[in-house]
Amino acid sequence: MLVIRPLQEDNLEDLYAMAQKAGKGLTTLPADRDLLQRKINLARETFSQRCAPEAGLYLFALEDTETGKAVGISGIQARVGLDEVFYNYRLSVTVNASKELGVHVRTPTLHLSNDMTDTSEICSLLLSDDYHGGGNGLLLSRCRFMYLDEFRSHFSEKIFAEMRGVSNEQGLSPLWDALGRKFFDMEFTEADRLSGLGNKAFIAELMPKYPICLPMLPDSARAVIGRVHDNTAPALRMLQAEGFNFNGLVDIFDGGPVVEAFIDTIRTVRDSRNRHAMVTRKAMDLDVPAAERVMVSNRSFRNFRVTTVPASCVGIDTISLPPEVAEALQVESGDPVRLAPLKDRAKSAVKAAR
Amino acid sequence: MWLVRPALPDDVNQILEIAGTAGTEAARLSSTLPRQQAALAEKIEHSLTSLAGKMTAGDRPQRFLFVLEDTVTGKVHGTAGIDARAGNGQPFYNYRRDALIHASHELGISSRVEVLYPSHALTDHTLLCSFSITPELRNTDAFELLSRARILFIASHRRWFSAHAVVEIQGVQCPDGSVPFWNSLGRHFFDMDFETADQHSGTLSKTFIAELMPPNPVYVTLLSDAAQAALGKPHELTVPNFELLHREGFQAGCYLDIFDAGPVLEARTDALHTLVTSQSRTLHGTTEDGGDTCLICAGDGAGFRCTLARVADTLEGPVKVSVGIWEVLGKTAGDEVRVAPC
Repeated sequence: MLVIRPLQEDNLEDLYAMAQKAGKGLTTLPADRDLLQRKINLARETFSQRCAPEAGLYLFALEDTETGKAVGISGIQARVGLDEVFYNYRLSVTVNASKELGVHVRTPTLHLSNDMTDTSEICSLLLSDDYHGGGNGLLLSRCRFMYLDEFRSHFSEKIFAEMRGVSNEQGLSPLWDALGRKFFDMEFTEADRLSGLGNKAFIAELMPKYPICLPMLPDSARAVIGRVHDNTAPALRMLQAEGFNFNGLVDIFDGGPVVEAFIDTIRTVRDSRNRHAMVTRKAMDLDVPAAERVMVSNRSFRNFRVTTVPASCVGIDTISLPPEVAEALQVESGDPVRLAPLKDRAKSAVKAAR
Repeated sequence: MWLVRPALPDDVNQILEIAGTAGTEAARLSSTLPRQQAALAEKIEHSLTSLAGKMTAGDRPQRFLFVLEDTVTGKVHGTAGIDARAGNGQPFYNYRRDALIHASHELGISSRVEVLYPSHALTDHTLLCSFSITPELRNTDAFELLSRARILFIASHRRWFSAHAVVEIQGVQCPDGSVPFWNSLGRHFFDMDFETADQHSGTLSKTFIAELMPPNPVYVTLLSDAAQAALGKPHELTVPNFELLHREGFQAGCYLDIFDAGPVLEARTDALHTLVTSQSRTLHGTTEDGGDTCLICAGDGAGFRCTLARVADTLEGPVKVSVGIWEVLGKTAGDEVRVAPC
């Protein structure tokens, strides 16, 4: 069984192995033991509420209960841009017109902004290759929306995600080569690595502060502004299905888009329902396709757990849980739980059971 | 004999001819000289009004246009202008080339970033402009006379002009007519070719520049290599002019033309070589035809005349020149003239 739970100290090696495999492109989780250890420590502090709410980093592990290993990770950064400066480019349009000459020119322009400051970010999603498919990615990503929904006071109303932008197999980013690189001699992969180590603001300080008119950039660079890396396209589609939209901001290094949504309008949040757990010894087939599964959370701040069960378990006031599932969720009969569809089609299953 | 005098309404066709015969090269060298008959006639009219010295504070600033005349044939061979106040009551646009240091102590990186800032700082400085001359006269005494006569005019009418003088030098243009700086920058915003924009800036109000020019500073590193190489570089045809102005005391500073990135030369008006070395003297006659060649000018406003003459004694006392020069200057013995060594 696969269960979401807060990341633990003993997940370091699993996490390191995953980060190593992911390689370049996953800026927020570099394969660096010290850094990962610091992140785990911060996550532990966050769940136990030993750090300021705005400094919180909520990291969730997807654990395979059979092996006890972490096979995926996802996170929420409570607030960005508070202890360092958070930069994006805003893609906007400037119009220059002369009636006298009958000229009307639209110029797309990048403006450096700190607009996402003080906003909550969903980040650090990584799933081990062996566990792709079967809705595991959805569980890993969507469990965060259930958490955001439960503990809204710890987060901003607006939630955003930075999507990885376009770069090729050699790690070259067309936007970086046309823009960032011109301002200081550094490869994109190196800039990206330093970002992951927490030096992004330092690099941003070396970047151009004045607006950049896109016509001055080569076509190859303009083409990738607001575009995601092919590997990230499925993640973007998933977020779009949740109601996230491009908000006009792009990454200052690779031009990847920022997508945002308000907690209230996130689909998983809107489609969530409360139930009480009812542990049952009745035999049931837990192995159903992702489309027929629902996510069940235990609604715990410190020990948040989520797993999936067949939609057929959902009753009018209760949800029937086999003992092993109840144990994984650390709930007993009568405890409140919250449900949300894992996939679009499961929505009807939850609704039908209301 | 060569004579520099104020342009007159009758000169219109001859001036247009200079622009025409000299081809695009010379025409380009004086983009502030209109190529349309009506606009040129108006410019001459404005010059005559300015010369009359009757302009009041509310009027448009003074603009002067002079021509180079061959006194034997009466033919006009060149033009040179002065705008008393650059911009003529509107903003005068330039880019200021400046630098920022982008540094990160933490990363041990420090890099110099060059930026072009839109600037109006040179507005109201006195502008030497509208210089054109038939190609065969380039690098001759007549060329020098035409250019420097303006400084003598400023010396004789000093109160009309500002403390600082500027000249825009044409920037790099390829043999095929393309302008690298324009292609890399202006083209994107003005949606027109360089020639069109350049002509507009000579004839239309400058409003269109305010409307169409990108308002933001421009990072040099984002310009094409050709455009970067052209920054502050004079067109090769302007080199004689550039050198002459250099001897006059003009220096290239940090200002560039907004269209072609040609250099803008600056000088303190009171430090201009011709102005400093010129002296006010009494005119006297001589039958000798010896001595050093000097610039000699006389007359106020519309009566301004400037020519080259051999002056027997240039040290002090009355200046002795042949009577033929008197006629060209329209003066007689005992009148005041201004002399500057060549």
